[in-house]
Amino acid sequence: MSEVDMAVIKPEMMKSYIWIQTSDGAIQQVEQEVAMFCPMICQEVIHKGMGSSKNCAVSLPQRVSPAMFSLILDYCRFHQVPGRSNKERKSFDEKFVRMDTKRLCELTSAADSLQLKPLVDLTSRALARIIEGKTPEEIREIFHLPDDLTEEEKLEPLKNTTDDPRIRLLNRLYAKKRKELKEREKLKDVEAEEDHVDDRSVDDLLSFINGGEDSKGIKTSKNKKKHRKRKDLQKCAPSNEAIETHKKESNTVSSLCHNVGVDQKLKSSLGETLKLQDAADEVFAPTVEFDDVDIDDEIDPALKEEIDREVEDFARILNSDWPERMQELLSLGQERRPTHLSVNGNGALKGHGSMPSFPL
Amino acid sequence: MLRKASSFPEEMLEHVLSFITSDKDRNAVSLVCKSWYEIERWCRKRIFVGNCYAVRPEMVIRRFPELRSVELKGKPHFADFDLVPDGWGGCVYPWIAALATAYPLLEEIKLKRMVVSDESLEVIAKSFKNFKVLVLSSCEGFSTDGLAAVAANCRNLRGLDLRESEVDDPSGQWLSRFPDSFTSLASLNISCLGAEVSFSALERLVGRCPDLKSLRLNHAVPLDKLANLLRGAPQLVELGTGAYSAELQPDVFSNLAGAFSGCKELRSLSGFWNVFPGYLPAVYPVCSGLTSLNLRDANIQGADLIKLVSQCRSLQRLWVLDYIEDIGLEELAACCKDLTELRVFPSDPYGAEPNVSLTERGLVSVSEGCPKLQSVLYFCRQMTNAALVTIAKNSPRMTCFRLCIIEPRAPDYQTLQPLDLGFGAIVENYKDLRRLSLSGLLTDRVFEYIGTYAKKLEMLSVAFAGDSDMGLHHVLSGCAKLCKLEIRDCPFGDNALLANAAKLETMRSLWMSSCSVSFRACKLLGQKMPRLNVEVIDERGPPDLRPENCPVEKLYIYRTIAGPRFDMPGFVWTMNGDSV
Repeated sequence: MSEVDMAVIKPEMMKSYIWIQTSDGAIQQVEQEVAMFCPMICQEVIHKGMGSSKNCAVSLPQRVSPAMFSLILDYCRFHQVPGRSNKERKSFDEKFVRMDTKRLCELTSAADSLQLKPLVDLTSRALARIIEGKTPEEIREIFHLPDDLTEEEKLEPLKNTTDDPRIRLLNRLYAKKRKELKEREKLKDVEAEEDHVDDRSVDDLLSFINGGEDSKGIKTSKNKKKHRKRKDLQKCAPSNEAIETHKKESNTVSSLCHNVGVDQKLKSSLGETLKLQDAADEVFAPTVEFDDVDIDDEIDPALKEEIDREVEDFARILNSDWPERMQELLSLGQERRPTHLSVNGNGALKGHGSMPSFPL
Repeated sequence: MLRKASSFPEEMLEHVLSFITSDKDRNAVSLVCKSWYEIERWCRKRIFVGNCYAVRPEMVIRRFPELRSVELKGKPHFADFDLVPDGWGGCVYPWIAALATAYPLLEEIKLKRMVVSDESLEVIAKSFKNFKVLVLSSCEGFSTDGLAAVAANCRNLRGLDLRESEVDDPSGQWLSRFPDSFTSLASLNISCLGAEVSFSALERLVGRCPDLKSLRLNHAVPLDKLANLLRGAPQLVELGTGAYSAELQPDVFSNLAGAFSGCKELRSLSGFWNVFPGYLPAVYPVCSGLTSLNLRDANIQGADLIKLVSQCRSLQRLWVLDYIEDIGLEELAACCKDLTELRVFPSDPYGAEPNVSLTERGLVSVSEGCPKLQSVLYFCRQMTNAALVTIAKNSPRMTCFRLCIIEPRAPDYQTLQPLDLGFGAIVENYKDLRRLSLSGLLTDRVFEYIGTYAKKLEMLSVAFAGDSDMGLHHVLSGCAKLCKLEIRDCPFGDNALLANAAKLETMRSLWMSSCSVSFRACKLLGQKMPRLNVEVIDERGPPDLRPENCPVEKLYIYRTIAGPRFDMPGFVWTMNGDSV
């Protein structure tokens, strides 16, 4: 019989096989066209001449268990057939990845070590779909991952603000200043307590904050009265509001507010000073831990100069006799009962028609 | 208990993450465990910062070294209604300066409600060699000089979108700054520009950019020129026309109709300023393919409007003025079965009397006829509980429901009852509701319903509603997923706020204006909650010049890990530890 005849009668006998050794040591034969679908095996065969006999079987990577290899072969066996339509392939893939999560994980890893990119993408996408829409706890649960992030790490704490060298310098300055002020306070006679009437409500409020469970049902008649009064104000406000067409001039609110005898300039300067004072205090956030280690070395000289100047400015503000200035300003400003202003937005219509008083 | 070993192949995580792109999912992934946190941060390409003051640019840069796209939001939403005074903040420059140094390969910057200076735009233009997309949504503070810098320098720009921004227009010539060799533009939105743009420059630009898919013109581009533009860009998918006015001229009309016929890919239309009804038929050839139609700037009324809308059988999104009236909405419900989003804006919100016949019936019709309805914004003058209950039962897919009854505290006009039951039905039936705006006469009861049922609610807007602190308490204690809460003119005070202080750290922000929160409560909150910035906004002057129990004018509370900000104007005070 000729070779060709043999091929026609017994095609299997002419088929080539590749010898493969799985991670458990077992050696098997795999149809060539199927095995060669895996780039890793392909490389071993072509570049290293492996797989032609039992003795030089292609040794699969550790991440490819026999079970996974079997699955991968199923995949290759299907896809290496040229005639299939895209629809067929897609349908096969969808069914193929339906397996429990553990196997899917193993398969992803195995496909990767065999460099079988289409299968890597298929399994990775499937894993992505499992992860999508889940909370961190759920993800941990599914994949048995440790819960080892600390609360701080989850939030990136305020501590990190000390990384800014300017803030660190300022913090140190304020720490010193605070200390001095505290010493001074201890020596002085402390002012009398605040209104006792207020203390009680403050305690109540504090208990709310500290998680008082019985803080429900806080309907007081006082609140109701307030609300009714406001309702009346509300009824008048919209209809009386003039419609402004220019956005710049639309601060009817501010014009209503500023009908006090306080000098505009004084008010703004007071605001500025208060703001600076606030800023000065805010920088020193109590939760921040600053180290006493000398950090001046890390800053370049030009920046350091600028920082020194800023620090001096702040120091000057802190050194001003704040309580005395407050009295001054208070006596100049008019003491007024704050009226509750109904802020009906404005009348300005922006080009794109966003509406004033309405929540959207 | 023996802990199982992890099954997830960590060496594959980065590849798996390449298929996970939503911010929520990436955030969840980063919180799983230490190793995932590390792997995730190195391959994060896009970041969304919902409040630019919640974190400092240096922190973002340190954590995510490989970003290609940054999205930031500045002012709170109520800034759209001029409730946030000018100068409050939201200046983007510090971010831009930091990003410029850290990410030379940055490709996209998207900003919303931020103050953007020309200087910022110049830095963007010169710092990022591969810059592709700039979106400035409801921004302000820049002029066409800044835009000129972008045009001249960003050789690979694909998208420039200025939606609803306020732009100073000293020169209309900035479009000519795009070099002749520049051909990469895919999306251009200049609809907000007030002044003329150089039409010849625009025409040349459109003609030489074969990838241009989205073009939103401003009203200064006249009708007779529109046809030329369209013929130069038949591949357009989205078009915003310029002004649509002028007396009907047959040749202009036929030219236009011909041009539109050539745009076989057109799916979205907007613009139509000052539309002359006679020209409307020019767009009929594209109507059947349209999925999005925005007529909020168009004064088309009556039959013309209905005829146009009813031809758009594939419509998914419709923005329209209340000229459409109940009768038009009935027609819409009959023709547009794929409708998912409807916004009906008021044509005359300040008029004492209704100028159109648009009532609750229109919305009921749409809910009955359009089963896919997901998102509604509806301005009207009357509503009933019965209508709301019907609407609630008809639209199970609703995720965003914003009802705006124009008169504050308007009751059910038939029964004169509050609309508590109606909105109660809304939250009970809309299981996936994420955004809700309330209006009409509402008592604490509605908030009880919201707290009980609205478990997926993320954003709630409230005005002129409620009776007492219980209202606020119900919302803060009940809505597990609440992210943004904005309130104005409601009798909510200290108790509910302080009792739910911990909740505030789980939300992005809380805005309260013209409510009853005292200065003392603000100070207390600021003192006790270091991870919140408690901002008192008061244009009457410093709050500590008034008694402590005096309510503050406006209050903006947001969680932050950046600490207090340093760029506040004189009328904003941050309540913090030692300032109390």
